[in-house]
Amino acid sequence: MTPGPVPVEVDEPGIGHDEATDVDRPWIVLVWNDPINLMSYVSFVFQKLFGYSTAKADRLMLDVHDKGRAVVANGAREKAELDVFRLHEHGLWATMQQDD
Amino acid sequence: MIPGRQRPVAFERSGARIRIRLGSEERDLIVGLADQFRSVLTDDDDPSLRRLYPTAYPDDAEQATEYESLVHDDLVRSQLTAVDTVESTVRADSIDPDELASWMGMLNGLRLLLGTRLDICEDDEFDPDAPDAPSRALLAWLGLLLEEAVAAATAYLPERSDA
Repeated sequence: MTPGPVPVEVDEPGIGHDEATDVDRPWIVLVWNDPINLMSYVSFVFQKLFGYSTAKADRLMLDVHDKGRAVVANGAREKAELDVFRLHEHGLWATMQQDD
Repeated sequence: MIPGRQRPVAFERSGARIRIRLGSEERDLIVGLADQFRSVLTDDDDPSLRRLYPTAYPDDAEQATEYESLVHDDLVRSQLTAVDTVESTVRADSIDPDELASWMGMLNGLRLLLGTRLDICEDDEFDPDAPDAPSRALLAWLGLLLEEAVAAATAYLPERSDA
């Protein structure tokens, strides 16, 4: 849980490729429900990593629990990937995808 | 989420530090678990570890592989560092917030491993006669400790707003 090395050098998708227009489409970071993680712990991680208030973190945590997943962050690909890494480092089931 | 208990809270905030209120048997158990967890992490070939290393790109195998090659060793190292910290502080009367974060990391990592092995479901009910009852009891105990660690750690979060 101590902050480890973080992946700062990531390849930008699209640059030098045909889909260069996709670069501007933001990425979303999703956290998925799982039967193991404690609800209180998930809310705590949202507060710790993203600086969310207890109320907002609890709301996102309940979204994950009730709806199976929630968007917890978004932004450029590099930032999204770093967010996913930090969530993985804290044991949460996180994925990322480009917003539709 | 977890029913109440009749024993002292395991992690209790005391000024800038967190008091650990665990008996010697509980500390012995944690030492044993830490040692086993390190072995599994180091071997790195137990399929029950999969929940510790989720895929980042479920719809893109190429990106998923690239992400995994980039972060896998860091994720393993992060867990091993947490195990080291727990082992070096397991007999302590108190720890600092960074050490508490390591305890939480190991407790949660162990729960992910054990919960995956047990293939638990959210609506599982505890059956004391089931063959896996001891492992499920262990999972519940680790959850209780983590719950109490979360309560103690929340006090150290910086001021937050939703601005």
